[in-house]
Amino acid sequence: MALIELVGVSKIYGVGGVEVHALRSVDLAVGGGEYVAIMGQSGSGKSTLMHILGCLDVPSSGAYHLDGADVGTMDEIDLADVRNRRIGFVFQQFHLLGRLPAWRNVELPLMYMGIRSRQRRRERAEKALEAVGLADRSAHRPTELSGGQQQRVAIARALVTDPAIILADEPTGNLASDQAEEILTIFEGMHSEGRTVVLITHEPDVGGRARRLVRIRDGRIISDEPAASGVGSAG
Amino acid sequence: MTWGQTLRSAFESIVERRMRSALTVLGILIGIAAVILTVGLGEGAQGRVNSAIASLGTNMLIVTPGSASTGGVQGGLGSASTLTLADAQALASPVDCPDVAEVAPVTQHSFTLTAGSQNWTAPVTGTTPAYLSVRDRQVTSGQSITETDVRTEARVALVGTEVAQSLFGTSSPVGRTMQIGNVPFSIVGELNAAGASASTNQDNVVLVPITTAQAELFSQAGPYAGSLSAILLSAHSSTTMSLAYQEADSLLLQLHHVTNPLQADFTITPQTSLLSTASTISKTLTILLAGVAAIALLVGGIGVMNIMLVSVSERVKEIGLRKALGATPATILRQFLAEATALGLLGGVLGVGLGLAGALGIPHVIAGAAVTVSVPAIAGSVLVAAVIGLVFGVYPASRAARLSPIEALRSE
Repeated sequence: MALIELVGVSKIYGVGGVEVHALRSVDLAVGGGEYVAIMGQSGSGKSTLMHILGCLDVPSSGAYHLDGADVGTMDEIDLADVRNRRIGFVFQQFHLLGRLPAWRNVELPLMYMGIRSRQRRRERAEKALEAVGLADRSAHRPTELSGGQQQRVAIARALVTDPAIILADEPTGNLASDQAEEILTIFEGMHSEGRTVVLITHEPDVGGRARRLVRIRDGRIISDEPAASGVGSAG
Repeated sequence: MTWGQTLRSAFESIVERRMRSALTVLGILIGIAAVILTVGLGEGAQGRVNSAIASLGTNMLIVTPGSASTGGVQGGLGSASTLTLADAQALASPVDCPDVAEVAPVTQHSFTLTAGSQNWTAPVTGTTPAYLSVRDRQVTSGQSITETDVRTEARVALVGTEVAQSLFGTSSPVGRTMQIGNVPFSIVGELNAAGASASTNQDNVVLVPITTAQAELFSQAGPYAGSLSAILLSAHSSTTMSLAYQEADSLLLQLHHVTNPLQADFTITPQTSLLSTASTISKTLTILLAGVAAIALLVGGIGVMNIMLVSVSERVKEIGLRKALGATPATILRQFLAEATALGLLGGVLGVGLGLAGALGIPHVIAGAAVTVSVPAIAGSVLVAAVIGLVFGVYPASRAARLSPIEALRSE
């Protein structure tokens, strides 16, 4: 069975009495260890799809099975646990807490996980920062870091609970190309470690790095095929 | 997240938003301190008025010459001689006035007192030993004047503490001699310190036997000085006050041959009426001050409410992020609860501290001001501040915690 399975998922936003169909009956299955890019123009519904995959939003209709469990039947506490342990989320705007140093940002999920020892949380946070190449920046606040470094802190935060799935919403959208390259290299690494990586982008360059490319337009999946790089050797 | 982590996080968040936290605390602090001080001032004033009146003598009726109903017309010279020692003796009769406990005729005139080279002016009161129990005064050193002194027109006197200090400094006045006018009196005792009320200084007094006063002193002072300025009566208890009043009233009407009570040439004033008037006034004052304080608390509360609302709505995004990272709504709520409680407690403790410091300090700065520390005022104001802080700190947070993480993250 697929790790992620969407069946007939729709999402309708009501804006001032006008219904906006962000997703129209989407079926999607992602197996464990896949590296999938979801591509589409702005307004295509790709972000909505990502939020539903990340359990940050709920579908208006349809079913979402995560590792065999029906997300639709979960309560707030179950959902919080899924977000905490199963999924690591990377946002376009990083969403770091500016008043906390890097390692304190990274340890946040561990606090919600219930790890009481500050020492252990710090060790794990430092390890995650090391994995993204920021071992020497752990005491810096986000404002003292470059955009690429901030995004790497956010990735460390997504990785720190060792989730099976990494979801990234336009992770390179706010970055210069050299910094974007660093980020994509990290995603490659996560994929080779066996994690399931799903990222959203509107840039063909970024989408081309994945092994599978899902195109979405007007809330519908229009194509789903192996990416160019997935056929032969990467790069 | 454990409570320890929650408290730590609350503390960090408060320190991080120093200015905002300080303003919140200030709003609570001022509201609470204002309530404590204004209610305390009101109750303090009330307490002082009551004790000042009580110190004039409890269960006391004052018979004064002249009619209250006819006012200035009859209240002049013509009515000044209507009360006599014979009236006082009649009122003391247990047959005619069984509910009158003690009777003290009073005649008063101001004299210059001399002892050695010291001069002092004080009202000299001629009266009987009953005066002390009617007015609730005690002799603290030496002895009282006696009935024998009254009978024999003895030249003996009791002095108040202020008179004693003015004439003899710190040494005891008992056994010394002073001149009242130019008549030498020997001082047999000193009265307890009773303080000053609004109209009379009860420590600047000299008491002498009424007979001596009439024979030796007031005969020189003027044609009407020998008559009584008042007769003080005491009832056995506050419940028999009105009986004593009626007995004294009908006896005096009869003795003065007055048939229409409206034309009475004397007035009887119960001390309690003065007491109740005064406490009504000071209660009104307390209510007024408490109203001002309530408004202060309300204004402070609205300030706290605004800061809390802004603070929470500013952090909806943070709430969304924390939820995306695995925080449950309960965890979020607990964090804001801890923050609001910490701010409320800090403001409350500082406010109570400032209020109490003011209560102790104000009487030193403003002479005559008394501040009573009112426990209900403290408890009430702290409770109101805590409720405001919690409601406006936690309610918006709980709403934000129920949003889906992405809605919260998108909010600006």
